[in-house]
Amino acid sequence: MKLVTAIVKPHRLDEVKDALREIGVNGLTTTDVEGFGRQRGHTEVYRGAEYQVDFVPKVRVEVVVDDADAQGVVDALVKAARTGKIGDGKLWVTEVEQLIRIRTGEMGPDAL
Amino acid sequence: MGTAPDPVAKLLAEYEALERAYSPGHHGVWAARRRAELVDATLEEFFERAGAPPGTAVAAVGGYGRRLLLPRSDIDLLVLHDGSDGDAVSALADGLLYPLWNAGFQVGHAVRTPLECEEACERLDVGASMLDVRRIAGDEGLVTDAAARVEAWARRDPRAFASAIGDDAARRAERFGSAAHLLEPELKEGSGGWRDLHSIWLIESAVGTELLRAREREALVGAEEFLARARSTLHLESRKQGDRLILDHQPAIARSMGFEDEPELISIDGLMRALFEHARQVEFILPALIERVLGEGRPLPDPPGSPVEMLDALATEAEEGREPSAALLDAIERIEMAEEIVWDAGTRQAFFRLLRTGDRGAGALEILDRLELLARFIPEWAGVRCRPQRDPYHRFTVDAHLTSTLRAMARSLAGDGAADDPVQAETVKQISDPDPILLGALLHDIGKNGEGGHVPVGARVVGSILDRMGVEPKVRDLVGFMVAHHLLLPDTATRRDLSDENMVLDVAAAVGSSERLAALYLLAKADAEATGPAAWTPWRRTLIRELVAKVQHVLDRGEMGMELAEELTDRVDRVRNLLGGESDPEVDRFLRRMPRSYFLNVEPARAAKHFATIAPSTGVKEVRAVHFEGIRSGTYELLVVAQDRSGLLSWIAGSLALAGMSILTAQVFTTEDGVAADLFEVEGVWEQSVPDRRWREFRGTLRRAVDGSISLERRVDEKRRWYPAPKVPAPVTVEVDNVASDFATVIEVGASDRLGLLYDITRTFADLGLDVHLAKVATYEGRVVDSFYIRDAVGRKLTDDLEEIDRALRVRLEA
Repeated sequence: MKLVTAIVKPHRLDEVKDALREIGVNGLTTTDVEGFGRQRGHTEVYRGAEYQVDFVPKVRVEVVVDDADAQGVVDALVKAARTGKIGDGKLWVTEVEQLIRIRTGEMGPDAL
Repeated sequence: MGTAPDPVAKLLAEYEALERAYSPGHHGVWAARRRAELVDATLEEFFERAGAPPGTAVAAVGGYGRRLLLPRSDIDLLVLHDGSDGDAVSALADGLLYPLWNAGFQVGHAVRTPLECEEACERLDVGASMLDVRRIAGDEGLVTDAAARVEAWARRDPRAFASAIGDDAARRAERFGSAAHLLEPELKEGSGGWRDLHSIWLIESAVGTELLRAREREALVGAEEFLARARSTLHLESRKQGDRLILDHQPAIARSMGFEDEPELISIDGLMRALFEHARQVEFILPALIERVLGEGRPLPDPPGSPVEMLDALATEAEEGREPSAALLDAIERIEMAEEIVWDAGTRQAFFRLLRTGDRGAGALEILDRLELLARFIPEWAGVRCRPQRDPYHRFTVDAHLTSTLRAMARSLAGDGAADDPVQAETVKQISDPDPILLGALLHDIGKNGEGGHVPVGARVVGSILDRMGVEPKVRDLVGFMVAHHLLLPDTATRRDLSDENMVLDVAAAVGSSERLAALYLLAKADAEATGPAAWTPWRRTLIRELVAKVQHVLDRGEMGMELAEELTDRVDRVRNLLGGESDPEVDRFLRRMPRSYFLNVEPARAAKHFATIAPSTGVKEVRAVHFEGIRSGTYELLVVAQDRSGLLSWIAGSLALAGMSILTAQVFTTEDGVAADLFEVEGVWEQSVPDRRWREFRGTLRRAVDGSISLERRVDEKRRWYPAPKVPAPVTVEVDNVASDFATVIEVGASDRLGLLYDITRTFADLGLDVHLAKVATYEGRVVDSFYIRDAVGRKLTDDLEEIDRALRVRLEA
C-alpha cells in the first residue's frame, strides 16, 4: 500500500476531491496547512499597513491506496491540482507498512 | 428472608410496571415522585424486618429527599442514630443497603448522628444534599434534630451559602459546559441543568423567604418537568445511568418526547431548542438569585415605565459598566409592553446606545431575551432563538452566536487585538459610523431561521427589521449589505483562486467601496471569533487578508467601484441580450471568462460581434483572425484569438508590419485559462482601403510564425532597411512599475513611431521569456505610448531583475 500526500492550493480542493471520487477513491484526509516552497513569503500592503506573510496557506491531502491504484491516484491528483501558475504545490508517495480499520480490526488492503 | 415476598423483587416489578405504563418520553416529575414512593415503601419494610433498634432512623437526602427519583437515579440514604449502639446500626445499614445493591440499584449512603450531620456540612455538597433530608422510617426526633442542625448551618450565613453554591455552579459549568447551548449537553451537571435548578430551591430554602418572582417560579417549574422528562427518557432509552445527551440518542429521545419534523425545524432541533429554552432560564435565574441574596440592594431612583425608558436604563447601566440591578429587572418586569413594540427615534437612540457598549450591551440584550422581551422589539429574533447549529464549526445556538458576534465586533472597533492585526487597525479607520457595523454583526445570521439558504433569507428578513426600526438610509444600506454579503470574503478567499484578476474585480464590484470592504473584513473576523476558538486560524486569516488587500488595491486604483460595477453589469447584460439568450452555456462562459477590462473597454455591440471568434475552444497551434470595418473610415478592427504564449503579440505585430499595415491602437486581453484575444485598430500603410491579398498575406505569415516555420526577425529587419527612421527621434522612455497591479508588472514604453515598433517591443519581452497579459497601445502624432501588463512564465508578477528589462528595451529601441 502507498500513502499519497499532496500539498495543493486551497481552491483546487474541490477539483481534487471530485477527481479522486471519479476514480473510485472513497476516503481521504485533508488538513489546512501553511508553508513555503519556491513561492516564498511576501509582504502585503493594505492601506499603508504593511505586513509580512511568511507562510502560504495550502491544503494537505492524504490518501492511502493499494499499490496497483497508486499511479492512477497520483495522475488524477496532479491533473486536478495543476493551474500552471506558481505555488501549485507538491506530491509525494511513501510506502505504508500497515493499515488497520479501527472499528473492525481489518488489516492491510482489507482496511482500505 | 422467610417466605414473605422479597420486597426488592416487588420494587423491581413495580419499577417495570411504571415503565410500561407510560412511554419513555412521558416520565416526568409525577413518575419520579411515584418511584420515590415505591422506594420509600420498600425501605420501610426493610427497616421493620431488620428489627431496627430504638435511636435509629433512615432518611432520604438529595434528589430522593425531594421525592424525585428518575429511572436510574442514585438512591441517597442517610442512616441516623443516637450513637448508643454502633453494632446494631451497622447491622441495620447492611440490612437496608445490601438487598438494593444486589438488585442493581445505585445506592449512596451515610451513617451519622445529628451532630455528625452538622459537622459533615463542612462539605458543601454533603450539606446541600442534607437540606432535603426526609424521614422514611424510625426515630422522628433524630430526623428533626438533624434537619434543624443542617438548616441552621445554611441559615447561619445565607450569603456565604449562596456564594458557595455560585462557586460550585461555576466549577461545574467549566467542567461540563452549558446545557443551554451545547449540542451534546450534560443534563444534570451542566450549567442550566438539573443541579443548578435544585441549587435555586436550596438557596431559597436557606434564605427562608420567597425570593423568586412569579415568572421565574413558573419558568423553573416548567424547566424541572422538562429536565425530569428528558433525563428519564435518556435513562430509559440508553438503559444506563448518565446524563450526557449525545447525538446518537437524540433522534429516539426526540421521538419519545413527541417532537416531530416540522418544515422549519427538524425533530432533534425541536428537542434541543426546548431544552435550551428551559436551561437558559435556569442559567439566567441562578446567578440573578445569588446576586439578590448578596446584593446591596442598590436603590433605583427612577424606575422605567416604558420600553424606551427600559432600554435607556439598561444602556445607562451598561455605559457605566454595571450589571443591571435586581431592582431594575423587577421594574422591567412590571412594565406593560405591547407584543410588538413600535420603534421611534427614542427607541432607536437607546437601542444603538446599548449596542455601542459592546459586551454589556450584548449582555443586556441577552437579559431581554431571557425575559422574553427581545422578540417584541425584533419579532424575527424568535426564528433564531435557541436554534441549534449542526455543523463542525459552530458551538453555539444561532442567537448566542449573534450576541457573541456583536461582542467581538465591539472589541474590534475598540481596538482590541489591533496590535496583532494591522489590517484590523486600518479597517476600523474606514468606518465612519459604528452603528450599522454593530447592528450588522448582531443580525448577520438572522436568516438562519430554518427556511434554508440563510444568506438570501437573511437579506430579506433584515429588510423588514430595518423598515420597522426606521433607521436612516445610510445605516439601512450598510446593514443590509453586511447581512447579504457576510460570507463573500471567507468563501471567496478559501475557495477561489486569489491570483485570478477577474475574481478580484468581481469581489470589488460586489463590494463597491472601501468602507463596505472594511465592514466585511471586520464582520468576517468577528463572526469567526464568535464561532469557536478554531475558526479564526492563521490559515483563514492569511487568505482573507490577501483578498481584502487585492480588492482594496483595485478600488484604490479606480479599476472597480460602484459606478464601474454598474457600468460593467449594464454592458455585460447588453452583450448577453445582443447574443440573444439568457441560458446559453457558451454565452455564460464567454461572459464569465473574458477579463472585466475587456467588457469595460470594448463596446457591447463589438463584443457581441467577437463572440463567435472568441468562444469556441482553440487548438494549440490554431490562430483565428477576423477583421471588421473600423470606426473611422480607412481603419480596420482586427481580432486575433489564439492560445496565449510568450511571443504571440510580437508575431502578430511583425506579421502586420510585413503585410503593410500600421497599428494605431492595440488592446491585449488574456483569460485566466490562457486564451489571448488581441484587438487592433489598423490602417493600410499604402492604401486607403486594405485589399484582401494583404489580409491573406497577414494570416499566412502569422500562421507560419506561430508554427515556427519562418523567422520574422530577419524579414522585418530586411523590410525596415528600405524605410528611413524618423528624422527627429523622440526619446525612448521606459517605466517599470511593480506596484500598479497585484497580478502583473506594468511596463510603459514611449518612442517615436516607426515600422515594426510594436514588434520590437514585444519580441524583447518574448526573448526574456515574458508574457504580455494585457496591453494598451496608442499612437499620437507619430509618438507611441504603450503600456504592457507583463507576467512571467508561471503567470505571476516579475520578481527578478527589473532593470534588465529596462536595459533590453532601450538597447532594442535606440538601435
